[in-house]
Amino acid sequence: MAEADITSQLLQYSANGLAKGSTYALMAVGYTLVYGVLQLINFAHAEVYMLGSHFAYYQARWAGYLPEDSAGKPESVPIGLALGFVAVAMIACSLVGMLIERIAYRPLRNAGRLAPLITAIGVSLLLQYGGQAVFGTEPKLFPTFMETEVYELGPIKFPNTNVLIVLTTVVLMTALTLFVTKTRPGAAMRACSHDMKTARLMGINVNATISLTFGIGSAMAAVAGVLVAMDQPAITPLMGVQIGLKAFVAAVVGGIGSIPGAALGGLILGVSESVVGGLWETSYAEAVAFVFLIVVLLFKPSGLLGKATREKV
Amino acid sequence: MRTALALVMAFMALVLSFTPGCKDKDPDPQAANEIKIGVFLSLSDANADFGKTTLNGIQLAVDEINEKGGVNGKKLVLVTKDTRSSPEQAQTVAKELATQDKVAVAIGSVESGQSIKAAPVFQEAGIPMVSPSSTNPEVTKQGDCIFRVCYLDDFQGASCAAFAYKDLEFRKAAIIFAQDDDYSKGLADFFRKSFTALGGTIVEEAAFQGKASEFKDQVTKIAAANPDVIFAPVYYGSIGLIARDFRKQGVKAPLLGGDGWESPQLIQLAGETLEGCYFGYHYDPEDSDPKVQGYLKAYKAKFNTEPNSLSALGYDAVYTVVKAIELGGGDTSAQIKDGLTKIKDFHGVTGTYSIDSGRNAQKAITMLKIGGTDLKKVKVIQPSDIK
Repeated sequence: MAEADITSQLLQYSANGLAKGSTYALMAVGYTLVYGVLQLINFAHAEVYMLGSHFAYYQARWAGYLPEDSAGKPESVPIGLALGFVAVAMIACSLVGMLIERIAYRPLRNAGRLAPLITAIGVSLLLQYGGQAVFGTEPKLFPTFMETEVYELGPIKFPNTNVLIVLTTVVLMTALTLFVTKTRPGAAMRACSHDMKTARLMGINVNATISLTFGIGSAMAAVAGVLVAMDQPAITPLMGVQIGLKAFVAAVVGGIGSIPGAALGGLILGVSESVVGGLWETSYAEAVAFVFLIVVLLFKPSGLLGKATREKV
Repeated sequence: MRTALALVMAFMALVLSFTPGCKDKDPDPQAANEIKIGVFLSLSDANADFGKTTLNGIQLAVDEINEKGGVNGKKLVLVTKDTRSSPEQAQTVAKELATQDKVAVAIGSVESGQSIKAAPVFQEAGIPMVSPSSTNPEVTKQGDCIFRVCYLDDFQGASCAAFAYKDLEFRKAAIIFAQDDDYSKGLADFFRKSFTALGGTIVEEAAFQGKASEFKDQVTKIAAANPDVIFAPVYYGSIGLIARDFRKQGVKAPLLGGDGWESPQLIQLAGETLEGCYFGYHYDPEDSDPKVQGYLKAYKAKFNTEPNSLSALGYDAVYTVVKAIELGGGDTSAQIKDGLTKIKDFHGVTGTYSIDSGRNAQKAITMLKIGGTDLKKVKVIQPSDIK
């Protein structure tokens, strides 16, 4: 194969990986925020992502933008309305996230590490199977929020959906970082993450702060769900399983608890999956993610940008 | 800790209660006026759709037969079990059907992996098993009690290769397939073998894991090889996304696939991206044969949705069993088994077929071309056309 071909392929793989990595990053933030505050792996996060796309889907369907029968063609949703659907999906997912915390995690907050972890898996399975029961098992065509256009940059083909994914991720991650570092609720989150008991003594409403953390993470999962569904417009109740696992790996690689770490972990994972998988063997892309995880953890057990913490005995 | 446990238990109970239950009938004492047909299908989890649509076809046939007075005055009774999309669970429910429910004959499953696991159980119990739509060659090799009413993957793969090479006159093919799926991988293997034997070249292959929902990298890889045609032996839930990714990266070569593509949702999920593509299928839905049209009409009236090929194969499986009862001279397992080996030129919805000595249905494959909103028959390939 010609040299130029390899270069252009490499560029295309990187572009693919950039879009994929951005969605991992958006999802990884949800894991990282909750872990930062509660040291809990919220396995149900991937299902909130699934719900995000389904909430947007049902609004569009009820608004009449999807054909009733399986043969009809979908209509394009006007941009303003689409944004409205996304906003509602974000709010709904925030509520679901907070509800999950209230019902499934808060009663177990002092029950050690294992019990909430098991509950998290339980909630995740409940939503997967409940989703199958309520939404049905067949793949659903996601409404058209944006007509597909493909930009060509030299040899690289980059669809507008991917541009949107990358831009949204950059904007949301920046906003989140500013929120956590510059605002009072953000400071409260950091305080809880540092030492929950002391934070409570300082007059911080710990429960409200934890709810807020779940709400923000879930809203970002909703955005990720919609963005991915716009790019790959077939949604199912099990769509969260794969990306949930990858985003979790991304969060750990980046340093769980760290927001820039989640972004970095997501991007590195996405690009390495695409490039290594593409140039070597595409079906091994999944393995790349986990080999990567192991290698990083061997050398930096707390992740690339994680803080090294000493175990308190 | 106790509250924690209680919560976990409560969640488990909830999870279980959400799993769609099986419509089990209590195993009542062997009633003389009924014939028990065991059915094992994926009714929940990833492939629930396969099981549900097949079950609809089976139910339709059973209801039709019972309305006409049953078989020799006996009603057909279904004992339905959910395999939860898992081969291991298929084996478990097969044991239940064989030992507890003591069915006379079993119908199932769609996925070859499940049929292969369940087959030895029925073989040992001497109960004939009829798979409506497991196309992997291994299925009926499990024993002389195991039958099927669909064509095989080697024939399907070879037909697609012959169609691409001889009819479409393509010489350079690429393959995209699911690495961890017997069906997809099997078809890819048979296509590769046949296409190269005919003189064509496989210019690139890209595999993915069955659960993937994103195919950009595979598409990039194949795009670089510039093939004339892309063979994509995948299921309908994936092909729409795969086709979209190909068109987004500017690949205009037609895609070609097998019966896994078929679904009333196919065109909708793919948008316009599958226009001009082809796939092999069990029958022609536009066929004017009253058998086909009658079935389509009855199905739509009963379930208020479009049937798919799995429904049709489930429907044909029941009528094939009924025919076997007639040919075998009775409704015991041994008689049905004997009858199944005698099925000859049986006229079903999915074509006219005979059961050969390998207990497989010898039947034709119909190549369909996807248009803007419809499917057009372009070629029928008979088993005798492929050597």
